[in-house]
Amino acid sequence: MANSIAELFKQVFIRGSLLVAAIAVIGSVVGFLVAGMPGLVSALIGAGLTLLFVTLTAVSVYVGGKLPLGGFFGVVLGGWVLKLVGFIVLIGALKGADFISGPVLFFTLVASILGTLAIDSVLVLKARIPIDA
Amino acid sequence: MDVTNIAEISGNIAVIGYGLAAVGPGIGVGLVVSKTIESIARQPELAAKLQVTMWLGIAFTEALALIGLATPFIFA
Repeated sequence: MANSIAELFKQVFIRGSLLVAAIAVIGSVVGFLVAGMPGLVSALIGAGLTLLFVTLTAVSVYVGGKLPLGGFFGVVLGGWVLKLVGFIVLIGALKGADFISGPVLFFTLVASILGTLAIDSVLVLKARIPIDA
Repeated sequence: MDVTNIAEISGNIAVIGYGLAAVGPGIGVGLVVSKTIESIARQPELAAKLQVTMWLGIAFTEALALIGLATPFIFA
């Protein structure tokens, strides 16, 4: 149970990374069986993208939390816009690539996102953040 | 002139999907943030707690955005 914001985000990062790593392994095996080498690569890319983008949100809230209120919202919302633009560009670049298996990448991405959301929710609900943190 | 074709639209319908995938979560994140600002203005001493709760709200709306934007991989 996290007792401070720093501890909460540390837990979120560690447990989220472990879960995404597990999904990457399972996804790679299933992807390889279903679609061969592109399936394996897609599962790894899908899990990696999720870890990157989900972690960036958590980091922006943690770093922004140390700033004044305007800075906090600037970092969180500015980071959010940049992240989504970056995600669209990455998806556009990967879409036509021949080393990608679309369904494997999509379902790995969805599984990782839902899994990290579940972990985030549990950790935030269990956390006891002091009021003067 | 071909009068049977008065409202032709050309292009990829998936572009509308990209738009929708951005609009929904955009409104969602806007609501989450506006309510957080309102709450912090009312009770500044709860700012740390509210910011963490806001992060959870943003994470959920962001999930929809990421899933929506990745759909070209299965629907294309």
